[in-house]
Order: sequence, then structure tokens, then C-alpha cells
Amino acid sequence: MKLELYNMLSRRTVLKGAAAASALAATGTIGMPPVRTAFAASDLRAAILQVPGVGKGEPTDAEWQKVGEMCLGPTKENVKEGEFKGVELSFMGLNNQNVHNVLFRGLSKAWADYTGATINWIDLAQADYNARLQQSIATGTVDFDVIEMGAPFEGDVCGKGLASVMPDWVAKQIDMDDYVGYLKAPVGTWDGKTYRISCDGDCHNFNYRSDVFADAGLAGEWKAAGGAGEWGPPKTWQQVNAYTKFLKGKQLDGQDLYGYLDPCKGWGGFGFYFLGSRATAYAKHPDDKAFLFDPDTMKPRVNNPAWVRAIQDVLDSLPSEPADQLNADPGTTGFQQFLAGTGTMLSWWGDIGSNVNTSDSSVIQGKTAFDILPGSDDVYNSKTGAWDKLASGPNYAPNMAYIGWGIYVMARVDADPVKQKAAWSLAAHLGGKDISLWMAAYPSGFQPYRQSHFDVKEWVGAGYDETFIASYLKSEADSYNHPNAAIEPRIPGIFQYYSEAEDILANIYAGKMKAQEGADAIAAAWEKRTDQLGRETQIKLYKASLGL
Amino acid sequence: MTTQAIDGTGHDAVSAVVSPERRRLGSLLIRSATLLLALITIGQTLYAYGITSIGFANWMPILVAYVLWSAALCVGLILRDGEAGWRALFVLPAILFTVALVIFPTFFGLFIAFSDWNLQSAGGRSFNGLDNFYQLIADEYFWNALLNMVFYVATVLVQYAIAFGLALLLNADIKAQKFFRVAFLLPFMLSPVAVSWMIGKSMLEFRFGPVTNLLRFFGWENPSLLTTPWLAKSTIALMDAWVWIPFMMILILAGLQALSKEVQEAAKVDGATGWQGFWEITFPLMLPVSVTTVVLRIIFQLKLADIVINTTAGGPGGATDTISSYIFRVYKDRSNVGYGTMIAEVYLILIIIFVALLLKFTSKYMQRDA
Repeated sequence: MKLELYNMLSRRTVLKGAAAASALAATGTIGMPPVRTAFAASDLRAAILQVPGVGKGEPTDAEWQKVGEMCLGPTKENVKEGEFKGVELSFMGLNNQNVHNVLFRGLSKAWADYTGATINWIDLAQADYNARLQQSIATGTVDFDVIEMGAPFEGDVCGKGLASVMPDWVAKQIDMDDYVGYLKAPVGTWDGKTYRISCDGDCHNFNYRSDVFADAGLAGEWKAAGGAGEWGPPKTWQQVNAYTKFLKGKQLDGQDLYGYLDPCKGWGGFGFYFLGSRATAYAKHPDDKAFLFDPDTMKPRVNNPAWVRAIQDVLDSLPSEPADQLNADPGTTGFQQFLAGTGTMLSWWGDIGSNVNTSDSSVIQGKTAFDILPGSDDVYNSKTGAWDKLASGPNYAPNMAYIGWGIYVMARVDADPVKQKAAWSLAAHLGGKDISLWMAAYPSGFQPYRQSHFDVKEWVGAGYDETFIASYLKSEADSYNHPNAAIEPRIPGIFQYYSEAEDILANIYAGKMKAQEGADAIAAAWEKRTDQLGRETQIKLYKASLGL
Repeated sequence: MTTQAIDGTGHDAVSAVVSPERRRLGSLLIRSATLLLALITIGQTLYAYGITSIGFANWMPILVAYVLWSAALCVGLILRDGEAGWRALFVLPAILFTVALVIFPTFFGLFIAFSDWNLQSAGGRSFNGLDNFYQLIADEYFWNALLNMVFYVATVLVQYAIAFGLALLLNADIKAQKFFRVAFLLPFMLSPVAVSWMIGKSMLEFRFGPVTNLLRFFGWENPSLLTTPWLAKSTIALMDAWVWIPFMMILILAGLQALSKEVQEAAKVDGATGWQGFWEITFPLMLPVSVTTVVLRIIFQLKLADIVINTTAGGPGGATDTISSYIFRVYKDRSNVGYGTMIAEVYLILIIIFVALLLKFTSKYMQRDA
């Protein structure tokens, strides 16, 4: 889980956690007793959630090691003690915010002690990650056995045969059926083979100001202005756009109000996800798995009427948004605007919700609620070229942006069966069902991603505020499990496409190009990019990533 | 030293006493090392292109061979040429180092620039002739960034004027002179990246930045400094100037302190005003220092990137983009090594031409008349 979510725990929840910890201490579980690994599953999950105990400060290496030891049971079922003695593994991952690899070190110590293997850690800053990975691949110098990697890079790694196929015993050990729907195949698979152990889930959810939509004065003004429908949280982008224009110039409690917040400044390619969140409801048809490219030709759809409408929405909304919006990247919209009380509606990853009550700059505690991304009254059908109105109502298509982190084993270990088993055992340990609950609940850099993570009682038992965590988890779960979720194309160079688009979008937003003209320019740039990367290969990999 | 002068006519005579055996040994060493380097390089090149099946996994052995060849060359020259060989060692390591780290990368860069090489491409690298150059000619982002560079370079003259004024101030007999000299240098000691965050992203922040709040206090309702093209460009130039003016100031100050005060005093005796003293005497005498300072500053300015990348990412709509920040995006975000290198090489050539012309034009001002 994100650091901020962990830090939001209230005094009351701390006391509840302490009471639970006392009960566990009475059974000899807390206070560094000899670790029992033969817990009943529910006992173990409750016990690890008490390490170090909610509200008792951030876990340290001692706690990480302890949790790793407590969760060693599944490893022991498949590996004999000392079985990997003499084996050396290199693990490449991130060191962001002192979690990720830093956390993995402690969590895997007991595994290394038990199996006899040695782990060498390669830590990378986020900004260096892509370049380091691509250089390793391009120069044939893959020097790591296990890697923490996002699904968007699967095309670069799995698509090029650089990853090891997951053995059956691993799938069983980590209980892959427990994954939320969108993390199941085809995510993590290529050509029907499974490569990924998920350790995170990512999607954009919808954050909005509940106090603004509960305000009677604004409701009256909305009605007086002839606004369609009742004043309340928007369910469609059409409503979002209308609210954004309406709120311009309005105030609540003496503060200027703004509606939706669009990030217009490039963010190393990641900014494109935010246009994507506006576009998926228009562009992702329930009868079509693809929404960004035509899977048969890789012809970009970014200049079709659906995407152009999303771009035009931004252009139409910008005059009603804060004056500095052109220089606002997603970090600005999330942390300097929304959390600081500017703006009423925002699409973002789960980080925003978890910061609402904890960030020092947040002024919207108790004024925020969550939902899946808004839908659209109509959806563009790329096959017929027509806008369809669905019998079921608005079209919803949550944007599964980035698809979260996973652990992958590299194919270079396959030549040595012992090393291969060791690598997969380590990956399975870190991606195990119970240890993942602890990572979702404590600062780790990872969000909930298993069905079992959404048992609100478990979180409440650990000390979380029920209203908050239920709302937050519901928006995440409903996004993950949505049947029409827009899954990110896992093809090589996907961030190159996004980066190229960001440059052109910046020109569109600055008024140098019209929406259609700019979208056509993006499509042209993407066509060149596809040709450079290899069209036939891209088509094949794109289809594979969509499960076609 | 194992040789000695025997005829007192110089080092050529010294080298004549090197024994034939040593000469042969030295020559043999150099030739052997050269042959080894050539064989390994040719062999590895053939292997890399799939012509032969024997080779190394990567090019590291070639680097090792070059280092060994360099060492053998140095030792071989001493053995073969004696004193002359020793003399060669004063510059040879520097030459070999420069070849390895400057000249070779530059020419290898040209090789890459004529390649279609995207790190994530399924096909790997391939020669594509002038395609990257033609792409560059038609690349609006490149020309936009180049046009921005003209603006940024032009601001150097404004920076120079301010720096000259500050240098005159610090050269005068003012109180706390040492304190001000250090204080004025502080911005130059800061990393431009830190400046980007402290000023660009904090002090100029639209909602809570102290500078924007001050501007609101003075009646500017929406002081969004980084969203209007001309204003954003000017703001970037201001931040850049804040960092670099101290650099120019310190060079000019050093020049001012080297000037003879007698000339100024003589002018005063002759009745020259303060302005006449500056414009007719100080400024002309300072021209060599001034031109050197401005040329150096322009060379630094042509590499402007960090403040832009961190503060505006080149926006709004490319208004603040620089060539270096554009290359950064092409390389880092798009892994487009071939095209990125072509931009870098073309930019290097443009800089060389520009600076050469600049030096030629200003050379007459850079020498102080006796």
C-alpha cells in the first residue's frame, strides 16, 4: 500500500489495533517470539497485520524480516531447507521512497536463510528504470535473474523471449485465481504462457469533492441555471464537462471553485494516461477489446472521433480550469491542486485517495469520495464508425493505467534448473497471497490487487476506518473487476507512443493546433513509430496482449 | 634517464645512442600491439556482423586491447626513441585519452546518427543513410527549439550588461564588499536543478508561491508565469540569468581589478565625467575580457536544458523548449538513439560554426592593445 494510506490511521484505530495486538501477544505471536508458520490462514493474516501494529510508526527492516519469516510456509512446502545453497540471484527493482527493493530485502531474508541462496540487489530510481532496462535488452547485457517490472514492459521482455515461463507449482503456491479480474490472463501472459507474478494493481479512479456536490446552494444555482438532472456526483463525462463550466466563478466557503482538473504538461509519457481516462468511455466499446490501435493493422485510433472528442473536451474545459493549467502536470493536479482544495473532480491512481487524510498539504479531509471513472452516454464503435447508445445505459470503461508492478524471472536462469527453481521460489515468496496483504496494508508502494485484499473486515480489524477504507476499496475493486475495463496495450515502446503524443497534446492545449489536426499529427507520429519498431511484430504482440 | 647527450647539439643526437637491439625491441612491441589490436577489432567486427562465428560477447575486450596497445605504444616509444620517446610521453597519454573519450565517440556518434536505431525496435540497429537528417529538416520541434535558442542566446547580452553593472559595484569602495562578493556568487553555486525546484516549482507556484502572491499583492489577478508562451520563455530566461550572471560578474570583476587605476585617475585629472570615464576608458579596456566572458557564456547557454526540463518540460506548446531538452526527450522517453544522435551531431556542428564565426568576428576585440 502507499505510504500515505498507512499514515492516515487514526488514534482510535491505533487503540483498536493495540487491543488486537495484546490479544495476539497473549498467544505468543507478538513481541518477536519463535515464529510459528503453521497458522491457520486467517490467523496468519490477522497476525501479520499486527506487525508492527497499526499506528506504531512505519515498519522497519526488523518488521519486514519478521513478516517474511511468518510468511515462509508456502516456500517450505515446495523447497527443502538448504536446497539452493550456493545459488546466487540478482534482483533488479526500484528503490523509490525507500520501499520496493528496500522492502524486498527484509521480506526475503528468511527465504534466503532457509533456502541457502544469496541475493544481489540492483536498485534503480524510477527515472532510470526504463533506460536501464531498455539498454540491457538492446545491448544483450541482461545482468539480472529476477526483475520487478510493470506490465507495460512485458512487450519488451516477454515478447522478446527474455523471460522465463512460470512453472505450474508457482501458480499453485501464489494462488493466482485470487487475482482481480483484470490482472488475470492475458495480463502477465504472452502466447498463452504465463510470465508474471503480480505484486501490485493500478488503475485510475475518480476522486470528487463530496461537500461540493452536497451543497444546497450550488444545487439551487445549478437548477436555476437550467442544469440537466439533479446536482450530484457525475456519472458521465458529459456531466463532468457541464459541471466544470458551471463551477467557474462559483465559490464555496469563500474559496474559488473549479470543476475537473486536466494535466496539460508532459510527464515523461505518463501524462497521456490522463487523456486516456477521459477517452476510454468514448473509445472502448464493450464489443471491442482494442481502443488505442486497430489490432489488425496497428493503425492508431487516437485520431478517431472518440479520442478527438476527449481532446476537444479538454480544450472546452480549459477556460473554466485554473489559470496555470497549461503548466500543470499530473503531480500538480493531484497534489498541488486537488489536495490543496483547488478543483472538484480528478482522475488519478489510488494515491490521491490515500493522501486525502494524511498529506500535510491536504485541506479536503472528510470532503472526498471515490468512484470508478465516469461513463459516456454514447460510445464510438470503431468497426461501424458510428456512435452507439447502449441499451444498458452509459458506457463505462475504467482505465487500467499501467497495470501495476509484477515480479518476473528472466530466461537466462532456465539453463540451470536449480537456479531457475530458486528464482521462481523467491518471486513466489514475494508475490505470495498472505505477504501481499501485508504489503497492501502497510507502506510498500503497492496497491491492493487480489480479491482477498478487498475484505473490508480484515482492514477494519487491522485498525482502519471503515467508511474510508470501504469507499476507497470499492472504487478500486469496481474498476479492476469491470467487464469493459480498458487494459493498457502491453507492446514494446508503449511509452514512446505516449511521449510523442504528449509533445503534440501540449501544442493542442496551447492553442497551436486544432483537436483533429493535433490528433492526426499524433496518429502520423505513431505510424512512424510503429514502422520503426516493426509493424508486423507490433501487431503480433498487440494481439497477444489483448488475448486475440 | 638512460641516455645522455654526447655532442651537445640536442635531443636528436641523444636518440642516436639508443642501441639497435632496443630500437628493434621497441619497434617489435609497437608493431605487435598494433597487430593485436587490429586483429581483435577486425575479428570482433566480423563477428558482430555475423560473418564469422568466433567472437566476444561484447566490445569490452576491444577496450582492453586499446588500453594495452596504448601502454605498449608508450613503452615502445621509449625503447625505440630513447629521450625523444620520453618527451613524447608528456603528451601521448593525453592524446590517447582524448582519442578514446572525445574523438572516437564523436565519430562513432556520426555512425549512430546515420542509423535507424530505437532501443525497443524488434529489428535492432540498421543503416538508414540520410533519413534521420531529412527527418530533422522536417522536424518542427527541432526548428522551434532552435528558434528558442536564438532568444536564449540573445539574453546573454542583457545578462552581460547586468553582470558588468554588478562588477563595477563590487569593484568600487563599498561597505561589506567581501560579503557582497560572496553573496552575489551564491546563485552560481547552486545546481540549476535545485534552482528549477526552489524557484520554478516553489516560489513561482501559482497558488502558494511567494513570488506569485507578491504579484497578486501588486494587483496581478492571475500571475501564471509559465502558461503564456512569451512570459514562460522570459521566466525561464530570468531563472537562467539568476544562476549565470554571477559567473559573468566574477570574470568581469577580475578584469576590472587588473586595470591600471592610473589611467582612470589621469582621466579624472583631465576633467572626464564618471560616464566618460566608463565609456571612453573602462569599457574599451575591458573589451577583451568582456568578449571572452560573453563567448564563454554563450557556449554554456547553448547547452541550456535542466531548468527547462524541470520547470516547464518545454511547454507551453514548446515555447520554452531547447535543443538539449528536446534531445533529452527523444533519448530518454523514446529510446530513439539514432535520431537523437543525429540531432546532437547537427547541433554540435551548428555550435562549432557559430562559435568559430563568433570568435573570428570578435577576435580583434579580444586582444588588448599595448
